[in-house]
Amino acid sequence: MNPSEAPATVPPPRKSRRIPGWAVGALGVAGAVVLLSTTSYLTGVPQLTSTGTIQTAVRLALPILLAALGGLWAERAGVVNIGLEGMMIMGTWGAAWAGYQWGPWAALVAAAVFGALGGLLHAIATVTFGVNHIVSGVAINLLGAGLTKYLSTLIFFPLSNNPRESPAVPKFDTYSASGLSDWLGELEAQQRVGLSDVAGILRGLVTGVSPLTMLAILLVIGSYLVLWRTRFGLRLRSCGENPVAAESLGVNVYLYKYVAVISSGALAGIGGAALVLNPGQPGYLEGQTNGRGFIGLAAMIFGNWRPGGLLGGAALFGYADGLQLRSGGKTFLALVYGAVLLLVVIVIWQLVRRRWFAAAFGILAAGLLYAVYYSVEEVPSELTTYAPHLVTLVVLAVASQRLRMPAADGVVYRRG
Amino acid sequence: MSTTTPAVVLSGITKRFPGVVANSDVHLSVQVGEVHALCGENGAGKSTLMKILYGMQQPDEGTIEVAGEQVRFRTPADAIKAGIGMVHQHFMLADNLTVQENVVLGAESLHGIGGKARKRILELADATGLTVDPGVLVERLGVADRQRVEILKVLYRGAKVIILDEPTAVLVPQEVDELFATLRGMQQQGFTFLFISHKLDEVRSIADSVTIIRRGTTVGTADPKAVSSRQLAEMMVGSELPSPETRESTVTDRVVLQVENLGLVAAEGTRPVLDDIDLVVRAGEIVGIAGVEGNGQTELVETIMGMRKAHHGRVLLGDRDLTRLGTLSRREAGIGYIPEDRHRQGLLLTQPLWANRILGHQTRRPVSKGQWLDLAGAKKDTERIVEDFDVRTPGIDVAAVALSGGNQQKLVVGRELSGDPVLLIASHPTRGVDVGAQALIWDEIRNARARGLAVLLISADLDELIGLSDTIRVMLRGRLVADADPATVTPEDLGSAMTGATSAEHATGASPASESEGE
Repeated sequence: MNPSEAPATVPPPRKSRRIPGWAVGALGVAGAVVLLSTTSYLTGVPQLTSTGTIQTAVRLALPILLAALGGLWAERAGVVNIGLEGMMIMGTWGAAWAGYQWGPWAALVAAAVFGALGGLLHAIATVTFGVNHIVSGVAINLLGAGLTKYLSTLIFFPLSNNPRESPAVPKFDTYSASGLSDWLGELEAQQRVGLSDVAGILRGLVTGVSPLTMLAILLVIGSYLVLWRTRFGLRLRSCGENPVAAESLGVNVYLYKYVAVISSGALAGIGGAALVLNPGQPGYLEGQTNGRGFIGLAAMIFGNWRPGGLLGGAALFGYADGLQLRSGGKTFLALVYGAVLLLVVIVIWQLVRRRWFAAAFGILAAGLLYAVYYSVEEVPSELTTYAPHLVTLVVLAVASQRLRMPAADGVVYRRG
Repeated sequence: MSTTTPAVVLSGITKRFPGVVANSDVHLSVQVGEVHALCGENGAGKSTLMKILYGMQQPDEGTIEVAGEQVRFRTPADAIKAGIGMVHQHFMLADNLTVQENVVLGAESLHGIGGKARKRILELADATGLTVDPGVLVERLGVADRQRVEILKVLYRGAKVIILDEPTAVLVPQEVDELFATLRGMQQQGFTFLFISHKLDEVRSIADSVTIIRRGTTVGTADPKAVSSRQLAEMMVGSELPSPETRESTVTDRVVLQVENLGLVAAEGTRPVLDDIDLVVRAGEIVGIAGVEGNGQTELVETIMGMRKAHHGRVLLGDRDLTRLGTLSRREAGIGYIPEDRHRQGLLLTQPLWANRILGHQTRRPVSKGQWLDLAGAKKDTERIVEDFDVRTPGIDVAAVALSGGNQQKLVVGRELSGDPVLLIASHPTRGVDVGAQALIWDEIRNARARGLAVLLISADLDELIGLSDTIRVMLRGRLVADADPATVTPEDLGSAMTGATSAEHATGASPASESEGE
């Protein structure tokens, strides 16, 4: 043992301001609402917080959320799952195939099974054969796209006369909290500052809720409980943190990794089903996922490999997507204004903490964005389509500084 | 403290790995309630033996008895069931999990993972001296506390016999004292400890009995209170190898390497890894550095080679100041370097031999011409090395990994002696090689010395040091603390000096510097 390699005996004492996770989440939500309503007031664009926008955002956030959850399961067990996109594509095909024959619930189950098959493949490659996780993931993405293309030509073409599209898939009935929804609707219509914005957001959340949305929320809570509150979850997470230690304590690391990656695939598959069962879509469509598996992965990273965090990430990306889809360039420009406001807050915070460099950088960015806002009438539609991707890029660049991934994430583990 | 039935008895344990015998006919008997130390040099086979006892490896021959009953451990789980626990030298902890999660992992069936487990942990934490809340993440703990968590893990599983694999290697002296206090307290509660170490002063202060292991076999058991550190060192080091004699001195007056007041600090606020090193190597001279591993030899070599940046002090080659040069420039100035780990530092295992010949010489003839590598030249010169150094290989196009350790090392030695170096730094040049390769490497070093090469030799093999060196310097805790004359010194004397065992000639107290300048 080389003494110079030994870690420092006493780590520097860390200032611990322990704020519980739920409080951070609540603060984040409150901050987001305040930011949105302020932006909406200052720019005069009520669509930012309208019921319709939020409803669309929820629908678009679902696939991202489920993919992110899938990523969470795999990466907590130490397997990087960049194949989420491919598993999601397989899920979309499975959902359409079972859905048009037996209805939406069957679609859900078939999507999970198809996604899980993708997960199984990833597990066999990465866990049993020790293939590099990224290589295997990319292979699965290619395979998912190719396989579904072949299958849809084979099975859907005779039915829909289009090799790239499935026949229409029946959707879930949606449910609304009718009394509450109407009351909130009145409140929103009054156009009062702040209050109407909150009402619009809430109304979007309680109106036309699909069982899939409820299921997804339950899956987030369930994932938290399983991964952090059960012995199964502890063992699974230990495989992602220090598999050698886990094995030395009698944990069957291979088994847990298999379970985790297969679950991951199933969740991504359900994410694919969420796309097919989206009321705005007829059914399966080639290229439908459009990188949402990757965005899901980004949402998970943004959420610091935690269920609550990835919920926030998915909401953010879903919102950006919903906004561009629903209201187009002008509203999206309002979001740019919102980003300027956010940056101003961040700059003030950095100034208080005497981080001069970060503050200067923030001022520069805010100035640039404001110049964009000031000089452009409307964000060109070519650009708004990429809103979620742009938001992903910016958010990850900014937020990835203080993240903590599982220690053995992406490391190929060999027993013995 | 002895009872009729010993806690653990190992008899006739033999373990072979491809090419080496790690343990042969090992006998060990540990009484209930004692701290039993297992002493031996690095590579003597202590760790293998403990892995066998903990079920991580199966012995090829021999039996294990626990509390009088013969057992067979297939996995660590079997050993845990039999009441044996192990605290690994490199902690088996997940930083991003809490103390509680780390402790209960794998043993959830005992008390669950919730409140009951927490209560049990708090009960046991007292015995180990751990005061932190079980809900704290392990990454926030210091080394000593992490070790307590490791001990806690073992206790939680109900172990009565605890193996501590070099537990003090990562601790500072005060922490060692605390650990020993903890061990004594637990010993009174009836726990038995197997304490693996090569630090004799620590063994003497904590152990009730000590078993010495040398070259894979146990050479005897002693009462540490009754024998001196010096006697223990003699048992540890032994003197079995035929001596690699080099007499008739070729030492000249011409100074080749001069190290002045060299210092290196690994991290702020810690003990310096190198402290005021003054060293001179002359043409035709072999200077040996003796020392128990981890006392700064590696750092000294890497600082001279420019792989680490010295805190202060100078390194001169001839009259040229190398202190500010990078490693490549230093090599170009005429330093050859046989690294201590040929796999990690010496070779590209997947590359052919001739590509390995280029490493470190990529700017010099015959393997390069101007800005271009001269592949033909490299291949031709590799043929020369294969011929001259008797590298047993089917050809120079095979990957280095296909060669045996001895032949790999001969290739490295041949490469480092190419290009007419003026100084050779040889770190454990014959570690892990067979006897034939060892003899050849010794011959080559001797021949180079006769041609006027200056050699700095670092070795854990005391016979090699004494046999080859013209001067021996002893290194302890980052300082050169003593000199020895290889003509008169015995491995036993050297062993005592290395471990800091006090004796009249080798005082390690207040004035080590003046001691080392006594020539």
